[in-house]
Amino acid sequence: MDKNKIIKLEYDVIVVGSGGSGSSAAQAAAEAGLNVIVISKDPLASSDTKICEGVMTVRGAGDENDTEEELANNIKLAGGDLPDKKITEAFAKDSKVAYDRLREHGLRPSINKKRNTPKTLAIAMGGHNKSRSVGHKNSGLSFGHVNWDTIIKFKNIAYFEDCWFLDVVKNMSNEKIVGGIAYDASNGKLLSIKAKAVIIAAGGLSTLFFPKTDTMRGNTGDSYAIGIRAGAALVDMEQIQFLPFCLASPPSYEGLLAGEPATGSFLGVLRDKYNKVILDSVYLRTRAECSEAIMRAVADGRGSPNGGAFLDMTANKKAKRSGKFFMEYLKSALPSAYDNARQALGKEAGKAEVPWEVRPSAHYMMGGIKVDEFGRALSYNKVSNKTKKIKGFYAAGQAMGGLFGSNRLGSTSLTEVAVFGYRAGKDAAEYVKQNKKKIDDTHFDIHHKKFFQLFNSNGKFKAYNLKIDLQRKSWKYIGAARKKKDLLAMQSYLDGLDEKVKDVLVKPNLSWNQQLIEKLELQNMILSAKAVTLASLNRDFSLGGHVRLDEKRKRIFSKPFSTLILMDSSSKLKLEKIQRERTNFITFIKYKINELYRLYNAKFIRILPDFVKDRIIENKYKKILGSKAESIEIQAGSLEAAPAEINK
Amino acid sequence: MDSDKLKVRIKLFRDKKSFEVEYIYKKKSLNERPMVLDVLLQAQEEKIDDLSFRYGCRARNCGVCTVDINGKPRLACRARVKDDDLISPISTLPVIKDLIVKRDGIPRQMIGYNRIPFKNNLNVEAESSYHNLTACIECYACLDGCPLHKKNNLEVKNNDAYSYGNPFSFLKLQRLYIDPLTPEEEKKGIIEKAKSLGLETYKKEYKNLKIKCGVGINLKDEVIKPLLNAAFSYQNEKKNK
Repeated sequence: MDKNKIIKLEYDVIVVGSGGSGSSAAQAAAEAGLNVIVISKDPLASSDTKICEGVMTVRGAGDENDTEEELANNIKLAGGDLPDKKITEAFAKDSKVAYDRLREHGLRPSINKKRNTPKTLAIAMGGHNKSRSVGHKNSGLSFGHVNWDTIIKFKNIAYFEDCWFLDVVKNMSNEKIVGGIAYDASNGKLLSIKAKAVIIAAGGLSTLFFPKTDTMRGNTGDSYAIGIRAGAALVDMEQIQFLPFCLASPPSYEGLLAGEPATGSFLGVLRDKYNKVILDSVYLRTRAECSEAIMRAVADGRGSPNGGAFLDMTANKKAKRSGKFFMEYLKSALPSAYDNARQALGKEAGKAEVPWEVRPSAHYMMGGIKVDEFGRALSYNKVSNKTKKIKGFYAAGQAMGGLFGSNRLGSTSLTEVAVFGYRAGKDAAEYVKQNKKKIDDTHFDIHHKKFFQLFNSNGKFKAYNLKIDLQRKSWKYIGAARKKKDLLAMQSYLDGLDEKVKDVLVKPNLSWNQQLIEKLELQNMILSAKAVTLASLNRDFSLGGHVRLDEKRKRIFSKPFSTLILMDSSSKLKLEKIQRERTNFITFIKYKINELYRLYNAKFIRILPDFVKDRIIENKYKKILGSKAESIEIQAGSLEAAPAEINK
Repeated sequence: MDSDKLKVRIKLFRDKKSFEVEYIYKKKSLNERPMVLDVLLQAQEEKIDDLSFRYGCRARNCGVCTVDINGKPRLACRARVKDDDLISPISTLPVIKDLIVKRDGIPRQMIGYNRIPFKNNLNVEAESSYHNLTACIECYACLDGCPLHKKNNLEVKNNDAYSYGNPFSFLKLQRLYIDPLTPEEEKKGIIEKAKSLGLETYKKEYKNLKIKCGVGINLKDEVIKPLLNAAFSYQNEKKNK
């Protein structure tokens, strides 16, 4: 072990990640006067927040009667009663002030001059019971600039990009956080950082399914792996949000979003390779239903050439009167998705004259590190059935779980990152101020030693190739549709992969060592995949983002529970279930009846004679599009884009 | 070259030495027209397991995958490959390894630049000129051809900031300048910052200035010109006093 390869640093708070959560966390801690270090493996603020659709939930923006209780219940019900009550309440309480903080750093929405509030999208988002979604010019990029400015603004925030955060360091005698270690690839050093608090804001795990994802490359499950290794519990890890209608080809566009269930419009259907309809009334289906139909066809050998199905919207286009309105709707509803589809699939597809080949893609991790409403990471003890704070350890944004449960309302993720990033930063600052004790060097020694053990000049396997293999297996076994048999196969595959990782080639140099980077990310991906697999096995029925092809039973009346994944002292994962409170029965039944009504209504329209149908649909388009077609823009991932999504 | 293959040259940088390697890309279908990123991903899988390059969203949004194609900066995720293309790291920033350049000297020169106090009334709209600037994805294509950035010593060690500015840093300043919430008294500070980054050079070379934005922002008209104008009217004001 070479001492001059280690750089020792000391800060009050370490923030891992520089996106929406990381910048908010750093801001809160910096405002409290603390010295903060932001560690980011990608360039500053180049996160999912920067590439998202840029629509944010702001309570009260479109309706004075939008109470905190209403918003909190809205999220809880949409999440199948899995969301944590206190976390949904914190979300509803802070959404407005979190939004204003972003505006203080340059986020400039259009203003509703009559109400003197940010302007919300023209039509209330399908699943939101109030109008509260605010759109922005240049989508996520406008948020990216804000995050960048936030971190750069403070002189007491240091930032290190091209840095892979490995693990937190704890004082083993009292379990308190004393810092962390990180691999600084561009400077070729190991950073050994003393700090009393660490905030994990390092995003999700969608790269596990690459290229079947529309998110940033960096989502290699780092948050969850770091979290569980530090002793935190992971909650709802089977709940990954897949978007059903993403591109399957050409390779450069693979995984990117093409449309949402709403894109299918009134007459859109899904077909298998024999042209047989496998799902009708697509626009009234949930994402999970669409994914399930596609993946079932693939499993039965009826899939499209690239492992998907065909979204056929030609009937919409052919209709005499309503056809031209459909095109207007298609182009304006999800403009960036439509552009992807047109560029990737060609002109005819762009005119909806031929079906689109589509396949699901991983979009968002709804589960994550178990935290309380201040982002404080929690461990769980089965015997006492109690959670316990890990002192000085925090998680925020996609890294945390407990806010969305089994389904995410549209436009809520930007609020999640701004609210809980800041909450975690603020609480961490208070915690650090109360803990003045000096940190001892000795806690770090074992971590330094472990770091230098990662190198292996005689390794047999290439980490990058193992990573690609893991990505293919993840899609097959723990992707958009799951079966018990596959989940068991995944478990033994991952155990085997664990062995191979020990024998991976990592040449012993520190200056931008790509082999080391691949190995570090691979390890985190494996651990995250294990957690997803174990949680999926124990959720033996379909719920929200988790689709089980082998279990047709719906358990809508059974008591809701969340899965918890824990790591024992021998690094084995264990599963626990925690009970969740059920929402009021009447509210629930109302949702179900409304849902069935809409579905039958849609089916009824489809069997009418063509000329009657065409007129009815034409009027519907006129109602949606209004006089200005520009006002209908809807957001990918939103409930409006998949109106049937609620409480499935 | 067979129609199912494409030959590219990739410039690698290792152990302080720069050298070219050839890679034959195997098309996944005959009519595939791959992007540079597709080629790099396949090259890492098939041949160079430690090939180092940046990428993120694959959809021209995150701005991290910029490389030089035949000497000109392009986004790897949206640049089609032609036979015999040369892929090299962008020439305007120091290379760390292969196609990876050190980027953080640029944001670092802006630390503490935004000193705008928080205001009470946030319900103010920005002009379209403001939103034109937030379209920037920070791909750093604009460094190419910038006479000011050229003056920087690229051999910076560790995490130092560059002394001279570039179209991106001026875009950040101009955005702040036209933000409707920026108070008049802060605007002088913004111009001072622009000057300290060497705005003067742009004044001299404005006519010959050839800078190109990776996503099509009109940098000369929307960033450089208004800043130069503001800097001069500010100077005149001082003289008049």
